[in-house]
Amino acid sequence: MDDLLLSKIRIGIIAELLASDWITFSALQQRLQTTNGNLGAHLGKLIESGYVEELKAFVDRRPQSRYRLTQRGRDAFIAHVREMQAMLQGSI
Amino acid sequence: MESQDAREQLAMVETILATSSRTLCAGGEFFLVWGVLVAAMDGLNQLVADNVMPISSLWATPVLILIGVAFSVWRSMQLRAKSGRMSVLQRDYLAMMYVTMGLTFVAQFAGSNFFAGWGQAAIWNVAGAIVLLFIGLHGNRRAALAGVLLIVAMAIANYTPGMPGYVLGAGMLVGYAGFGATELLATE
Repeated sequence: MDDLLLSKIRIGIIAELLASDWITFSALQQRLQTTNGNLGAHLGKLIESGYVEELKAFVDRRPQSRYRLTQRGRDAFIAHVREMQAMLQGSI
Repeated sequence: MESQDAREQLAMVETILATSSRTLCAGGEFFLVWGVLVAAMDGLNQLVADNVMPISSLWATPVLILIGVAFSVWRSMQLRAKSGRMSVLQRDYLAMMYVTMGLTFVAQFAGSNFFAGWGQAAIWNVAGAIVLLFIGLHGNRRAALAGVLLIVAMAIANYTPGMPGYVLGAGMLVGYAGFGATELLATE
């Protein structure tokens, strides 16, 4: 199983990004109901592993971070979900 | 990982995917502005064809198109900045709209011998109908109705040789701009 996706917050981030072309930090925070620091740390790990791409821009002269799921992240998520499903089927 | 954890994670993923917005934000203001502008162009062409207005007044057409383009660019940038998220469906919708409208624009110039006269005006009704019917297929009944209205207006215009510009223009005004207005009212 993908160790990186064992965290609830990280798999939540990936699931949110799966249905989005992109999402801002604040929208992600609102959806996942977590703190700035916590979300930032988890996002950092996902970016570092190449699962998520960060796009920085200035909107109304303020910096804004947007996040997008990479193909690597998508593949990892699908594999992880399949493994969890297989595990549950095996445990029945 | 324990079975209970896996169950919880799968349930959470399911909830996130189920609650993530799948509605299409059509952007009523775009339809309203372009509907009015295209209807004005159709009306102007009819007035010129009826010799009510001089042919020189057709200079207003590129100006109206430029107004529409400038508004679209400005408003798109504004909405993109305000929005916190763009769904995959919304991205696909925008791509479809740009491709449809872009190709229609190209066809007008590259195929000007095929789409001569009122054909040039009618092709915009077809392009508008494609966009509206796409939105309609994603659950917006008003859009589906407006798309059908544009096609009906084109069919009626085809059999009213005395005033095709007015009929096509009315279709754009009621179908395209009207849909935009109802979208704006619905989101308020």
